[in-house]
Amino acid sequence: MTTYATLEDIENCMNNGWTDGLPVIPPYGSLVDAMLEAMGWQAHDVVGEIPSQNIVIRAEKAAATAVMAGCKVEYGALLRALTEAVLDPAFNLSGVEVTTGGAAVLVIVSGPVVEDLGFEHGSNALGANCRANATVGRFAQMMRYFCGRGGGVLQSHGTIGHPGRISFCVAEHPHTEWGAYHTQHGLPEGVSAVTVMSTEGPNSSNNHYGDTGAQVLDTIADCLCHFGQTAWYYRSGGFVVVIPPDHMALVARDFSRAQAVEYIYAQARRQTDDLEKVGRIAKAPIAFAEVVPGELRSPLKNPQQLTFVECGGTGGRFSAVIPRWVGSTHAVCKQIV
Amino acid sequence: MTQASSHGPSGNPPAKQLVSCGDVSCELMVDPIPRPTPDPITITLKPRVARVTFVDHHKPNSRLVMKYAQAVLRDRGIEVRDDILIKDDASVRDRGLPPP
Repeated sequence: MTTYATLEDIENCMNNGWTDGLPVIPPYGSLVDAMLEAMGWQAHDVVGEIPSQNIVIRAEKAAATAVMAGCKVEYGALLRALTEAVLDPAFNLSGVEVTTGGAAVLVIVSGPVVEDLGFEHGSNALGANCRANATVGRFAQMMRYFCGRGGGVLQSHGTIGHPGRISFCVAEHPHTEWGAYHTQHGLPEGVSAVTVMSTEGPNSSNNHYGDTGAQVLDTIADCLCHFGQTAWYYRSGGFVVVIPPDHMALVARDFSRAQAVEYIYAQARRQTDDLEKVGRIAKAPIAFAEVVPGELRSPLKNPQQLTFVECGGTGGRFSAVIPRWVGSTHAVCKQIV
Repeated sequence: MTQASSHGPSGNPPAKQLVSCGDVSCELMVDPIPRPTPDPITITLKPRVARVTFVDHHKPNSRLVMKYAQAVLRDRGIEVRDDILIKDDASVRDRGLPPP
């Protein structure tokens, strides 16, 4: 039987724990050097720290991870911004990795970079069979997995997790009805950006017969407030609403983005007493949870916790609601330069 | 190095047959996993007690080497504790060892 050195290297990586479960591109030094150059770093540049675990993360770790995930060097500038985003202390990378919540790193790519690098933003936008989406999303999950476990001494405790923990990268349409996604995080319209947040898996929101924007938003609002939403406890995360073109055509006819946010914030409510009956609100509520018996409760603490991303194909009237992990108190948005 | 040749309609897997023409060899791979930096250690250059205590943590052949080292030190007039202490994990600082 013929043996191939590269296949043996792949097996060695996997046997050594250098894997997310799938085969990896072996992080040969020459490939890592090329990726470092593309990311604009030197090997020993410090790109992040997890002080509580005595961990310093140097650029060569991120570059090696990018190679292993299958990223092209052409993605270098995006990967640099993405690395800075996931290692931003506000993102709480290690918490995302080890929580029972089984969260993944949702990566949202927006602006001209979507077309420049060939991201899929149409059909199957939440699970595109496209190299840019698949490998950039995989890179973010591998950074979570490699850097979030204290060098291998901590364990992941996700109760069920979700498939996004392998790869979860969403690219927005280059031309949107309401402006680029990153404008919701304070960046200007014309730039390219990458945004990360930790999330649960997407919930589908189907409405094929509604013919007004309000009907579509009512359906989405209802999806936000089913009994099982994690957000009922502390409302610390928020939601991302994914709107494809067919739904967007109805919604944008009647609502601006700000109006849609306010509409959903007003409509997505559930009686607090009903939540308590099924055990979704603590009977002896802590102050932070802000439980008010008898009142309608929103899964959002404030309207700013709701953002919209415009992507997906035509020909089907589906939207999606992506709940953020309860510990996802910050989304981190970085401009790609 | 891998070469590709197309024998079918593009975009329809498996339209391309991949041929391996060689392999990478003898190149270091970069560990992608950052490891914790150990707590700083303190080294006392002048020992408080002029006596040597050996600690074994099951390296191959270690006991034989240590016994040999004990004999060499004694020949040079250095006091050496007879028993060799055992620590199971070399990477963990063991503050529970008996005092020298």
